[in-house]
Amino acid sequence: MKQLRTALLLLTCSLILISCADVRAWERGYLARDEMTWDPDPLESALNDHIFFSKEASSGGNSAAGGGCGCN
Amino acid sequence: MKNSASANIIALSSTALALPGIALADAPPTQSTVSYKLSNYQEDDLPRSELPFGKLERYDIDVQQFQLVAPMGRNMSVHVDANYESLSGASPWFTTLGLDGKPVVNLSGASGISDNRSELSAGTRYYLDNGSFAGNIGYSEENDYRAVYFGLNGERHYNNDLTTLAGGFSYSSDDIFPTDAALFNRVREEDKQSSSVFVSLTQIINQVSSFQTALSFTEQSGFLSDPYKLRDVRPEDKTQIAWSNSYRRFFVAANAAMHVNYRFYHDDFGISSHTGDFSWHQNLGRQFEIVPQLRYYSQSAADFFSNVDNFLNPLSEYQSSDYRLSAFGAVSGGFSLIADMGSWKATLTAERYLANDKYSAYDVSQPSTALVKYNRLSLGVDFSF
Repeated sequence: MKQLRTALLLLTCSLILISCADVRAWERGYLARDEMTWDPDPLESALNDHIFFSKEASSGGNSAAGGGCGCN
Repeated sequence: MKNSASANIIALSSTALALPGIALADAPPTQSTVSYKLSNYQEDDLPRSELPFGKLERYDIDVQQFQLVAPMGRNMSVHVDANYESLSGASPWFTTLGLDGKPVVNLSGASGISDNRSELSAGTRYYLDNGSFAGNIGYSEENDYRAVYFGLNGERHYNNDLTTLAGGFSYSSDDIFPTDAALFNRVREEDKQSSSVFVSLTQIINQVSSFQTALSFTEQSGFLSDPYKLRDVRPEDKTQIAWSNSYRRFFVAANAAMHVNYRFYHDDFGISSHTGDFSWHQNLGRQFEIVPQLRYYSQSAADFFSNVDNFLNPLSEYQSSDYRLSAFGAVSGGFSLIADMGSWKATLTAERYLANDKYSAYDVSQPSTALVKYNRLSLGVDFSF
């Protein structure tokens, strides 16, 4: 529970620290570049998730889990 | 003149919003993309000090991935994913004390294991003015394992599309039917269920950087033990929480993007972990990109982990010598080379992964045998039309 509280505290702090500059739509060219997307190569990230899932105990994060496999 | 300027601004805004990923505003893809990736990763042989007798070889795995993403009408997209994985080699079966008093591992089956996994999933996303929602279903089958799953998720944009709130749910029903069950006194048929929810918040910070934080909860119930280990008894319920953070920044002068991710994980098996990774997406002219990447991972041990199986322990007690439940750290690094020829794109990736109890950020009271090292090589091709 202590670790959960620490995580929630850090989450709150990080949200506060986010500065919300008013970036207009036409000022977002750099943000729109392929290399700036959250997941530039979905097959690569899916493969990594699958491999790490089979070698490590941790999983999950910024999406809901998919199907399991006999690898873990 | 004023009207003309306004019209130009509106036109510019519309163009910007139509660009993929921009402003976090969703739009269906404007063209279809077919992607294929072929990968091989091979685990290093075990050191003789950890395996006194027998073959030292471990898994050698080939993975083929296929994906089609296509627009459907004005407000929808569909995707189909297919994966085929084949593996051969050997896996830790049980651990004992060696002659020198240190733990040694015994691998399963002199002739090794051979298995295949086929997976097919499909999904669709519907786009609204200020968000989208999506659903997917999937099916995965191996010689000894079957999973059926589905997921639903959605997102909504706020604050002039500077802020996005997303959430989702998934459920998986898995059946386990180990091979040679009668021969090795394994369970004949078991099942497990997994439910997972997540929520995420994405914020544009300024013209060159954005941040995302996400929280996920996963609840597993059923048979969570490893049927191929000689003495592996785990609780039948597990709750997992993961908190992920991602930061993206574009460096205009360098013409490069920096990706930084961090995840904290905890479950009620007693395992906590930290994962951090960094990648630098360096453009080389208009057509090429090189992406060096580095990852660090460390986890603590499960409450019931033991690096030597205790054969006097009753099987009514939780116990496991699975190295994946031990305290260890792992460092991996590699690079990708990307050639973008317009409608064609090719990606070559090489990676080296090293797990070791000496890399652990957590206390290691029982160093595990059989921690993994591997090399991975992938070649991917995307075609848009």
